[in-house]
Amino acid sequence: MITIHAQYQSRFREITRVPAETFELEHPLVSELAARITGKYGPTMHALLMDSDGENLNTRGTLYLNSRGERVYIEDPLHDGDTIYFMVGIAGG
Amino acid sequence: MQSRLLHVNLTTGELRVEELPHALFERWIGGSGINNWIMWEHFLKHDIHCDPRSPDNIFVFGVGPLAGTGSGSGIKGRITFKSPCYGIFGDSAAGGKFPYMVRFAGFDHIAITGKAPRPVYLYLCDGYADIRDATHLWGKNTAETHTGLNTELGDYPSHVHTLTIGQAGEHQVGIAAVVSDASRIHARGGGGCVMGSKNLKAIAVQGSGGVRVANPAGMLKWSREFRASIDKNEAIYGFKRRGTLGAVEMYQHIGSHFWRNNQGNMFRGDEIRSDNWVKKFHKYSEVCSADCFIACDGRYKIDGSESEKAKKYVGETFRRPEYLTTGSAAGALDIRDWAEVAHWGKVTNDYGIDNQDLSCAISFIMEVHQHGLLSERDIGELFGHAQSLEWGNMEDIETLMADIVFRRNLFGELFHDGPYWGALRYSQRTGRNFMKYSIYGKGGASFTEEMRPFPTWMNNMAVASRGADHLKGIGLIEKFQRRDLSKRYFNGRLEAADLSTPVLKGACTALVENQVALINSYGVCLFHWMLDPAGYAPEEHYGRAFAAVTGIDRTPAELMRDGERICNLEKAFNSRLGLRREHDTICERWMFEPTTEGMYPGRVAADMFETVLDEYYEWRGWERESGLQTASRLESLGLGDVAEVLAADGALARG
Amino acid sequence: MPRTPQTEMVTGTVWYQPGDDIPDVDQKLYALQNQCTDCNVCEVACSLVHSPDGIVNPLLARLKVNHAPQVGKRASAHGLGFVADICHHCGNPPPCAEVCPADAFYYDPKTNVAVIAQDKCIGCMECVPGCPFDVIFVAPDGELLKCDLCGGEPACVEACATRPEMNNAGKQYNRAPVLFHADSATYRAVLQDKPEARDEVGMMQAMLEKGMVSSAA
Repeated sequence: MITIHAQYQSRFREITRVPAETFELEHPLVSELAARITGKYGPTMHALLMDSDGENLNTRGTLYLNSRGERVYIEDPLHDGDTIYFMVGIAGG
Repeated sequence: MQSRLLHVNLTTGELRVEELPHALFERWIGGSGINNWIMWEHFLKHDIHCDPRSPDNIFVFGVGPLAGTGSGSGIKGRITFKSPCYGIFGDSAAGGKFPYMVRFAGFDHIAITGKAPRPVYLYLCDGYADIRDATHLWGKNTAETHTGLNTELGDYPSHVHTLTIGQAGEHQVGIAAVVSDASRIHARGGGGCVMGSKNLKAIAVQGSGGVRVANPAGMLKWSREFRASIDKNEAIYGFKRRGTLGAVEMYQHIGSHFWRNNQGNMFRGDEIRSDNWVKKFHKYSEVCSADCFIACDGRYKIDGSESEKAKKYVGETFRRPEYLTTGSAAGALDIRDWAEVAHWGKVTNDYGIDNQDLSCAISFIMEVHQHGLLSERDIGELFGHAQSLEWGNMEDIETLMADIVFRRNLFGELFHDGPYWGALRYSQRTGRNFMKYSIYGKGGASFTEEMRPFPTWMNNMAVASRGADHLKGIGLIEKFQRRDLSKRYFNGRLEAADLSTPVLKGACTALVENQVALINSYGVCLFHWMLDPAGYAPEEHYGRAFAAVTGIDRTPAELMRDGERICNLEKAFNSRLGLRREHDTICERWMFEPTTEGMYPGRVAADMFETVLDEYYEWRGWERESGLQTASRLESLGLGDVAEVLAADGALARG
Repeated sequence: MPRTPQTEMVTGTVWYQPGDDIPDVDQKLYALQNQCTDCNVCEVACSLVHSPDGIVNPLLARLKVNHAPQVGKRASAHGLGFVADICHHCGNPPPCAEVCPADAFYYDPKTNVAVIAQDKCIGCMECVPGCPFDVIFVAPDGELLKCDLCGGEPACVEACATRPEMNNAGKQYNRAPVLFHADSATYRAVLQDKPEARDEVGMMQAMLEKGMVSSAA
């Protein structure tokens, strides 16, 4: 079991209604964290968090970083105590 | 493809319409690509080293073939000119409904030379054009000018749409901008100064004609598929409501803001570093241009309840301050109240001036003052009176803005070409070296975002043809660490998405510059693609729309080559002006001072800068030592004629 | 410019003759006030779909974005907003057809929509003031333009940037349609479901009250 913290910004926070929360995961996998979040927050979160085939994390207009500033992908392992930041990915113009 | 170019000589008053050959679209796509060619040809007959404020400079307006064809991908008009503040290639884009009304009036490009003997505006209507007196409009800001023209010209055969300059352009402020429909701004490079130097106050257009599409059924089909693709992208909904302000929280987290002249990279102040704009100010969603499926703009109208400082601005209404308005106000100048950020956005729009260079000119002098380097006497000399230079003080900031817009004191005179030239002139004048406090990239242009942890962005700032800017090379593969795009464009390799290595960063700039050149030449908005770079690539999906509109069918590889050709003409223009590798440079702070905060502390550009620049030149096929193009590469792009001109100017590398 | 008959691009079918007993239009257009963003895509798409020559021109559209809609009960308190002026597909025969002295109106068998047959129209323009909603438009060359619902798949609805599908059950507030094509019972149900959602501000407030938007900074 590992502990992972999730922090939500912007559009993600509109869906979750909370800025942050903590999950206890059985396996240190991004896929499990994603399944827990989409299971909790439903189809709108699923559409935002996952891509259209439902198997990978959505890369369109999103940015998911761990505490070391690295982007996480579905195949990446998680480390106990890590924080994953769920953010929108947009730049100015 | 049927298209018309209006030639305007303001000195003689001569107006001439030229039918543009279809072959020009095959070579240059349209929009930005054709604008560049018009300017290139102009400076084969006129001195390219002329003062950009002289009648010999050219001001080109263009709108690409996809604009207003039902593509739903927005519309951007493009202005192209020799930049008065940077002295190099200048161009800038903006939405508004002006660009597509120009098409409905029967024109796609306008090329303006000379100088009118008194203030004038250019009027276009259904294939007709004339030059009209604008003395009664001189002195007005852009909003007043737009309203004045609407009243004067009435509603028939359509609403009036305008490009206008404000007081900044009238005073030939180097960083003056051109405003489209009083609400969208062509900010970069000083296009407003060029118009002002020609006594051209505005261009007004009415039109009832249409735009012809070669394959209407094909265009409708494309448009429906595009809309369905946007439909499926959940992130678009956040973008519709908050526009680029979605970057505020994200940049706050990674440390990508530009705080107090980039002394830091995170905003201070609880209100300003969150999404609270959406909650408290957003009243209404609006579109920036026309023909757009996203409609990401918004409108505010202050009622005074939003914050204490908002009480000063009750009744003020304008468009949402986007990220760079926020980056310049809350970042560079440390304004911590959203009502004041909004007000900054409105005032810079009304004056018609670039908020990037303006904010960095002000933040430069504020930082110099912060370090105790300005005596009372220095301040008196600069401003003509005692002047408070307090960070985040809106009153001080508005005073300094007006100093530059009206060039009404030494500060205004020194800094109206931006922070680089201002710092240089002030250093030369005083014999003291202030350059380390001046933030700039190529051409002396500045940009209110943190660069140092992002090697592709750093490279963009050093090589962008129009001066430091991210909108030529947009380093999103790196900033959003998009492994999928890195793999897709670079044969399965991941380094383009890895912030810790210089590898594939220069390559990324070269690749994306070609794609951006296509978007700018199609005449549509960058954001539909930027939000989903894997979904709708400019060289693939948009290429099909281009074929439906123009009848010009291209493969993705051919379109990437077209984009590369367009970029190489911009480069050639700068090479003719004498730009070499040493001009692809950035300021001291970005190069040598490490970041102190944010997710990536301790970063400097110097660690990777030269390696990335070498790689950029390699991918471009340009000579490493000089940065110059080679005849063989130019010939491979069908630019043998350009190579000959460069050779005659001594601006061609061997090979 | 010579115009080919309007059926060709849009429906490809032959229309009924006047005098036949025609039922009312079942699925009409609706436009919510003060959520329209004035993006113009509806006008652009309408002109393109009706132009066999491939001309895009909002002045040839059969709907128009109204920049100053009359303030009604659903207007935004801030006085900001646009609405698309659309044909309301009045009960058949509609007022526009009733005032026509040249019997120039036909009815599309698929949708029962009244449409102007340009070859019969004499350009008297009686239908323009005859329309109680001012949605018969006059093209620059004098042609009278009336919405024909595109044979049942209105291009404007499809083009509308602000989510026009009625199948938006379960989606969040920002999917509320601006332009949509529905039977009147469904339309009323949508409005009753979210009576406060009549403008952007109202929807925001409803969301906040229902806790669907977080106010956390």
